Order: sequence, then structure tokens, then C-alpha cells
Amino acid sequence: MANTSNQYDVVTAYQTSLNDSELSTPVAIFKALTDFVRHSTDIYAAPTMSEFMQTLEKAAQSIRQESQGTSKEKPKNQHKATIAILAGVDLFMRFVTRNSHDFSVKFTKLKKKKKKKLSEEAGSFEDFKENLLSRASLILEKASCAREKAAAIGAQFINDNAVVLVQGYSRVIMSVLYHAADIQHKRFKVYVTEGRPNSDGIQAVAALRKAGIPCRAVLDSAVGYIMDKVDMVFVGAEGVVENGGIVNKIGTFQISLVAKALGKPVYAVAESYKFVRVYPLNQYDIPSETPEIVTFTSRRRKSFSTIADAETVEDLALSNPSVDYTPPQYITLLLTDLGVLTPSGVSDELIKLYV
Amino acid sequence: MENIKSSPLGIPNSNSSKMASGSPNTMGQPMSSSYENRWLSTGEDTKKGSPLVSRRKSITPEENKPNNSKEANKGKKDTRPQNPNEPPKKAQKDMTKAERRAMQEKQRQEKQSRVAAGLPKGAKQAAELEVKKNPSPVSADTDDTKQKKKALSKNQQNQVPWLLHLDVPKTSDALTKDLHPAVLQLGLYFSEHKIVGSNARCVAMLEIFSKVISDHKPPSDATFSRHIQKHLDPHIAYLLSIRPMSLSMRECIRWLKKEMADIVEEDPPLSDDESRTRLIERIGHFIRERITMADQLIVQNGLQKIQDGDVILTYAKSSVVESLLLETKKKGIDFKVIVVDSRPLFEGKHLLRRLVAAGIDCSYHLLSSIYVALKSVTKVIMGAHALLNNGAVYSRIGSSMVAMAASDKQIPVMICCETYKFVNRTQVDSFVLNELGNPDDLVQTTTNTYDAKKSDTAVLANWRDQPDLRLLNILYDVTPSKYITLVVTEVGLIPCTSAPVVSYKFNCIIKTCIDFYFYFYYYLLYRFGVNTSNEEFGKRVA
Repeated sequence: MANTSNQYDVVTAYQTSLNDSELSTPVAIFKALTDFVRHSTDIYAAPTMSEFMQTLEKAAQSIRQESQGTSKEKPKNQHKATIAILAGVDLFMRFVTRNSHDFSVKFTKLKKKKKKKLSEEAGSFEDFKENLLSRASLILEKASCAREKAAAIGAQFINDNAVVLVQGYSRVIMSVLYHAADIQHKRFKVYVTEGRPNSDGIQAVAALRKAGIPCRAVLDSAVGYIMDKVDMVFVGAEGVVENGGIVNKIGTFQISLVAKALGKPVYAVAESYKFVRVYPLNQYDIPSETPEIVTFTSRRRKSFSTIADAETVEDLALSNPSVDYTPPQYITLLLTDLGVLTPSGVSDELIKLYV
Repeated sequence: MENIKSSPLGIPNSNSSKMASGSPNTMGQPMSSSYENRWLSTGEDTKKGSPLVSRRKSITPEENKPNNSKEANKGKKDTRPQNPNEPPKKAQKDMTKAERRAMQEKQRQEKQSRVAAGLPKGAKQAAELEVKKNPSPVSADTDDTKQKKKALSKNQQNQVPWLLHLDVPKTSDALTKDLHPAVLQLGLYFSEHKIVGSNARCVAMLEIFSKVISDHKPPSDATFSRHIQKHLDPHIAYLLSIRPMSLSMRECIRWLKKEMADIVEEDPPLSDDESRTRLIERIGHFIRERITMADQLIVQNGLQKIQDGDVILTYAKSSVVESLLLETKKKGIDFKVIVVDSRPLFEGKHLLRRLVAAGIDCSYHLLSSIYVALKSVTKVIMGAHALLNNGAVYSRIGSSMVAMAASDKQIPVMICCETYKFVNRTQVDSFVLNELGNPDDLVQTTTNTYDAKKSDTAVLANWRDQPDLRLLNILYDVTPSKYITLVVTEVGLIPCTSAPVVSYKFNCIIKTCIDFYFYFYYYLLYRFGVNTSNEEFGKRVA
């Protein structure tokens, strides 16, 4: 029973953290899993490290499955960010595994030298958990200020009198623009694409106007038209994949293609916890929620006889993918809290982290 | 051969004929550098089908000796090799004062011009240098040296001139005398192409070295650990001379040398038996971890990328790709394979045989129809011989064509490569370092053994007699990194530009990785009951 109640804790904790719109998905996952670790310390002490790892693994899986299961009850502006979930879960698990591995190596070395008894081993397991918790909170801290760091680095690339194109509403990009305007005191103009189907571009325009940045909303289809007036393109990322490409809101690939064709730089701004060890070969290889979403189904034929039932906007939104993959050759630079990276540098960072 | 050989730039060679004449032009011709001599005079010589300067350097001492002996026989005190056309020099006693002064003047001028040209001051040394750089033409009566040259040039005269740097130096018999018989046998297998494929060769080589190490008894005055490296060096040299450019073998040898050096450094020093067992154990580890287990991990990683309905194209035969495809079939995934093949090795046929035996839906194309084959392909998977530092792939000749054609059609290209093949070398073209095969392999155009009797009616049978015809059988090529989508290694899927980072990381933290992979290895053994015997590799014969 304690198991299930703990599991439930994780999922609800995760969802409540998600509701805080300022937290990005991986950070919310970190928080939820750290709380889980803390609770498992108090409520029921997993006697061995392997059991602990198993329960942790189960909790992570439950978050992943939960997000894939429910589709109807989600609020409108929160689509299933599968890849961000993957990134967060993977990173946390890797961090814990690394920690446990270092710990066990250290411990076996100690054991060889001093020959500790079993009871002491249990005690040191408590130490391990304490260690884990303190390091996890350290990671959380780092993650929360990662966005600010990335924003500071990203804002360097905006020049005075630049015209910037952004897509929809992205929290990172917003912080980049605020940073450039308020802290670096640069004057620039922004074109914001509407960002169908959830039209969060309109919100972005409102927010930017409040901050005093001159901006304009444009249709998604007008990107080719205005690209010549633009100096640079900023895109956010839900996940950065291993070859340096990014997975972001649908429409990002199109914008990058047009920008590349017209010789405009595309800067992708992402925090480093969004790096994930996924390697897509093409658009249809990304771990999105419904890979068969764009096939032709026979559903149509059944409803043929009924009234020409034009799909509503909501139907269109649900039956179309919400993310797409931009290959690395269309991205000029990746601006992260680790610094400015070229797309091929992402793999180096990932290897340092994971291998 | 003419007596007066004009230098490559068309400047008359006033080498020895005008030396005594005293004209200021003696040393006035531009001192041809060795580079000019090597490449430009090489071009001139191959037109005549005569031996090359590179060979000439080893021949000149032989040439000079008969020349010198002849001059000595003529009774001259001067040791400078001279043209027989030259008038005999007067001894100083016989000259008048005026003549002596003229001779002194002439010698002073010569010395000045020599110094100006950058040669050593002494006349004798300058002459020696001259001889080395501009070897004097052979006179008609040195027939035996001519024949010797012809024997050496029999192979070289039909090689493509600008690829001669890839040529294999022949080993003399003296070198093979003291070698372990197993190594000689291995060398024979390599040269007869009985063991092909980089993995198979590496494993065979390491196992043979293991045997050599276990059989080796050091001389009484040296410890095993210090002597073993010296003992292995001639074996290594012999193997490298058989198949020169096997990059992955070089990496293995580099690793082995490092291990041997580590054993020497060991403090307190290990006993002979201990170091022997340790070395053998380490070799076994290497084979298990970085080849056998790496292959299994590559298969696991590669499986992620293969889905139902895939049409996979592969080129020639790679042991890893074969394991991957067989494993995919075992998993029950519905896929098709297209095998692309090329002359003269036709390695794809062996792969095809094995895939069909496993029940996989296959088809077979030659490289010339690659675009036709690519029509329905969803993925291209190939193996590699080595992965270079700039992310380029060094692989069987023809793979770069497949990669380029596939990337032209926006088809992803995956390379399967173990990390021990990551080489610390950069190459942008395929010619700087490569391996030449036997040009006679290209002559036979029918593969039907029944028609083998008619082999002398092959069109190219007498190609060596054609003075302007060269056959080129080159074995490897380099595929630039922009045509490769990803590389599947045992550490995961990486972009090919990350190859140096992985090899660096791997060498740094290899110990912790080994622990981790060991657990994974035993897990795999437990789960899949994989056959880990290394005989499999030995059985991969043509």
C-alpha cells in the first residue's frame, strides 16, 4: 500500500508543479522525483539500494505513462511534452545512477580496506540517500537559474535596431527578450508568429507590449513574406537531441527552413537539462505521443454520409502533431546555460554527461 | 640510356662532363631539390618504363661501386666518378706554372660557386652530393645491374604513378626466419584473403599474439616484461607488411604496446609468469569487451532504429551489420534487405547467403545500379573499417558512393562501428593513405569457374604489355562526415563528428566503463544466451 500511495504522490506532485506555468517540464519532474526520494526516506525505508532504485524507476515510469494516457483532461495550453519528460526523467535517473555508482565504488574500496559489517552497510545507505538528496537539491537550484543564464547568453546576440522573429510563446525566449530590453538596454523590434492551433502568439504579444518592447503578430503562413525584413530568428526547444537538432512546437522546422533559404541565422535557446539522448533519423522518428497521427484513416468514410462536418479547430489541433524536429543543419547556434554551442557540440556535452 | 641525361626542367645536365672544363656554368644550374627529382624525374622515367628514383636511391650505391671500381681500375688517383669521355687529368708536376695558376683559379671559382649554391666547400663532398642527387647514367657494360633493376621494376612499372606511395615494400626472407610459425601462418591467411574483415583480422591477430606471448621464453639476462615488446616487434612488422594499411589492427597494436609498457612500469615488478598471465588476460579482456561485447551492444542500440516495414540497404559485408540484421529477424520485425555488391571481391554474396539462410527477404544489386536500388529504401546501414578524427568513415571502397547516393535522396545513413576503431588520424581524401590490392584481380571478368579455362581470352589478360595501361585495384575509401547521419557504437548513437570525444573519453575512463559493461555483458549473456566463443570469427572465411 505504501508503494501505491507513494506512486500516486509522484504523479500528483508532478502535475501540481506543472501548473506553475513558470516551471518547465524537466524541472517539474526533478522536483517531483526529489520529493519522492525524500518521502521514501521517511515513510518506508527501502532496505537496499537496488530496491530503492527499483521503486525510483517505477515512479519515473509512472510519470511517463501518465502523460501518455490522459489526453482529454488537459488544459488547453499544455500539450503533452513527451520529449521534455524523457529529458527530465533520463537526466534524473542518470544522475542517481552515477551517484550510486560513485558511492558503491567508494564503498567497495572502503570495504576492502576496513571490512565493514552489514549493519554498517545499512547505515551507509542512509548516508547515500542523504547525499543524494543534497545533490538533488543542488541540481534543482542549478536548473532554476539555468533559464536566466541561457537568457543572458542569448541576449548577447540581439543587436541594437535588430528585428527578431520568434515563434509563439516560449518562456525561455521571453526571458531572452526581457533580458535584452531591461538589463542590456537594447532597442529592437519583434515579430511574433501566431502559433496555431493554440494561438499563444497573441499572449506573447500582450506580454511584450507590457514590457515596452515594440512587437507585431504575424500569421504563421506569413513567415516567408516577412523573412527578408528579419535579422535573426530565435526559437525555443522542448528537447535538444543528440545530433544537435531540436524538437519544438510545430512550425519551427518551417521557420528554420525559410530562414536558412534566405540566409538568416537561427538561434535555438535551451537550458542544458533539455538535452536528451534521442537520435531521430527524420521527422517521424521522434518520440511524440502519437506517431501515426498523420495517416489517412478510414474514419472519414463513415462520416461521409453525414453533413459536411468541417473539423472544428479543436479537432484539428488534436489530430495533428504538436511538435516537430528541426535537423541540426538548419540551426546556426545553440545558446544554452553551458555557453554557446554548435549543433555538433551537443553530442560532446551529452557524452561527457552520460558516458 | 643516354649518356647525358637532361634534368627534368630541360636544363642540360652538366654533371660530370663539364666539371673539368672550368666554365662558370658548371655549378650554375639550379640545384634540383630532392622533391623535384623524386616527383618530376619519376614522371619522366615511367614514360620509358624504367625504374624510379625511389628505387634508385637504394640502387645508387650499387651503381656507383662498379663505376668507382672502373675508374680505380683506370689508375686515376682522383676518386670522383667521372664520365669516360673526359680527357685524363694531368698530374700537377707536369703542369707549367701558368697552367697551375689557371687550375688554381678554376678551383677557386668552382669553390665560390659551390658555396653560393649551398653545397659543402670540399670538392670531394660536393661531388658525392652531386652523385647522390643526379646519379650518373649507367654505361653500357653494367648489364647485371640493369637486370637487377628490371627485376625490381617488374611490378612497379605498371602501377599508377601518383599512387606509388601506397606500395608495399617486400619483406626479405631473413626477416621471416625467427618468427613464430603461427604468425607466419596468419600472414599467409591474410595475404590469401582467407581471413577478411577488420574484426576478424583483429581478433585473429590478438589471439595469435596471445599464443606467441604464452610460448615466449625470454633470454636469461632479461625479464619477460622487458623483453616481450622487443620480441613482438618483428612479428608486428611482418604482419603489417602483409596488409599494410589495416587501421584497426594498428589501433590494437597501439593498445597492446601500451599494455606491455604498463606491465614494465608495474611496481613491485611482476614475475615472469605473472606478467605473462596478466598480458594474456588483458588481451582476452580486450577481445571480449571491445569487440565481442561491443558488437552485442551495437546490435542492441541499432535495433532501436529499425521498425516494421523498413527496407534496409547494406553494402559489401560487415560482421556487425550481419549480426544486427539477424537479430532484427529474430525479434520478429518485418523488414527487407537489399545487398549491394561490387567487384572484384564480391563480399556481398557471402552476406546474402547468410541472410537468406536466416529467412530474411533479400535482393541483390551491383554498385552500378545503386540509384535503382535506392528507390524504395528507408535506411542504409553499413559497417566501417575505421572512424577518423574529423568524423569521416574509412571503409570498403564503394561505400562512399552508397552514402552519397543515399544522402542525395534524403535517406538516412547509419554506420555501425566499435569504439576501438576510432583512429587518431584525419583524412580528407581517399588517396593519402590507402591500400592497393592486386591489379590482376581485376582482369578476370567472369566469375563462373566453368569459364575459367577461357581466362586467357580475357580482354585484359596482357595488360602488362601495354605501355600506357595501368590497372588500379584500391581497397578502401573515405566518406566525408556530411553524408553520414549517425554512428552506432557501443556507447550509444552518436553523430560522426563526436568520434574524437568518444575515443578520448573512453581512454580516460575506461576502467569505470569496463566495470559497468561487465555487468551489462553478463546480463546480456543471461538474457540472450549468446555464444561468446571467438571461433566464430575464425570461421568467417571467404
